[in-house]
Amino acid sequence: MKLALDRVSITRGSWHISADCTFTEGIHLISGDVGSGKSTLARVMAGLLPEATGSVVAEGIGSQMISFQFPEYHITATTVHEECESWGLDPKTILSAIGLTDKYDRDPLRLSRGELKRLHLACILAHRYDLLILDEPFSSLDVCEKQRICRILSGREQGITILFTHEQAIFPRVGQIWEIRDGKLNSCGSPPDGIRNWQHAPAVIKRLMAKKKVLKNIFFEDLEEAACGT
Amino acid sequence: MRDIRLRTGTATLLSIIAFYSIPGAVAAFVWWMVFTPNLTIVRKNRLVIPSILLIGAFSLVLELTGGGGLSYFFRMTIVIFIGVWLLSGQTRGEFLHMGCWIFGNRTGFELGMLAEMALQNLHALLSDFDRIRDAERMKGVRSGLRSIVPVGRVLVHGTLLRAEDTAELLAVRGYVHGGTCVPAFETEKGDVPATFFAVCAALISLIPVSAFFILS
Repeated sequence: MKLALDRVSITRGSWHISADCTFTEGIHLISGDVGSGKSTLARVMAGLLPEATGSVVAEGIGSQMISFQFPEYHITATTVHEECESWGLDPKTILSAIGLTDKYDRDPLRLSRGELKRLHLACILAHRYDLLILDEPFSSLDVCEKQRICRILSGREQGITILFTHEQAIFPRVGQIWEIRDGKLNSCGSPPDGIRNWQHAPAVIKRLMAKKKVLKNIFFEDLEEAACGT
Repeated sequence: MRDIRLRTGTATLLSIIAFYSIPGAVAAFVWWMVFTPNLTIVRKNRLVIPSILLIGAFSLVLELTGGGGLSYFFRMTIVIFIGVWLLSGQTRGEFLHMGCWIFGNRTGFELGMLAEMALQNLHALLSDFDRIRDAERMKGVRSGLRSIVPVGRVLVHGTLLRAEDTAELLAVRGYVHGGTCVPAFETEKGDVPATFFAVCAALISLIPVSAFFILS
């Protein structure tokens, strides 16, 4: 199973982004500055941006899903339980898992942004997609919820999971780190070596590395372990 | 045409004559063909076809119920073309400058700012619409009449949220009314002649043919 971006390029006026790489099974983290093209690239990978040049080749990928930064875009039902059902899921199971049982009959658009994001991610993560693209999955979530999502993502053993984020502290255990630099998607490599090559590494990771702490991965528990280790 | 004052004036004049009569619509169409990158801007604007289809549906009803639908369709299509041309060259802030130039820094500023917000929202709506359709496609929801309601709900909800955010931001920043803006405009070669010919087109369509020619 793989997703190959063959000389993919998008140009809008003076702005430009290109990618020539292959994603294999596992969790890939893509970071980059705001406006660097993370969301655009996510849409290209999902085959939703026909104006891109080059080609996106999906091999062995039978099912795919993209989660946009704003969960409202995904809403198709008028109550929370119908929204769960629209994903082919049992509302009671999903809502009890995310603590929204009391919002069963509520209009999803009347939930807070954080609640809606929880609902949306719960519906998406309940499925096993071969290719799962998450654009800023941690936005609007509190620390506890980010950690819960990271644990679920870290447990995803099958398929390709691609995370686009500028999250600064809480990450799942990743297989490969990528970053967008100067309009190009670059591979930093796999942790732990990939962490050293990561120019966009968050301040907390840079500080730990400056103190010569050993980082096995960027999973938040690994960071805590490294920070507490001697 | 770079100068927003001339562009808006010309578009208003041509829209009025196009809506007023068939000769006016023909004159406006000829002007549009000669002085604008006509088909290029129509191809680039995604709202043209849906707008024409909507007008077509109204025209059909009009034609079937009382007549005059064909004339209405032709005149309104030209009005749409003129509107597309007006917005095709739009750059950020120019309606604010024009508002202040016409009505001053109090009323003009507010009208200009409203126009800017409306246009900004139009772009945001189009972007939201794309994302919603993409999300529906990924979810396996087929496009059709049944998918219009959820799309509309999310679009309206997003627009109301944006309006609320903007209002709160303005209030937090102490906005009460008016502002200070020194209007600046850029006029390029060809702006004045194009406006002149638009006025000529308007005169030709409004003045009876007998005023030009001695008819026996």
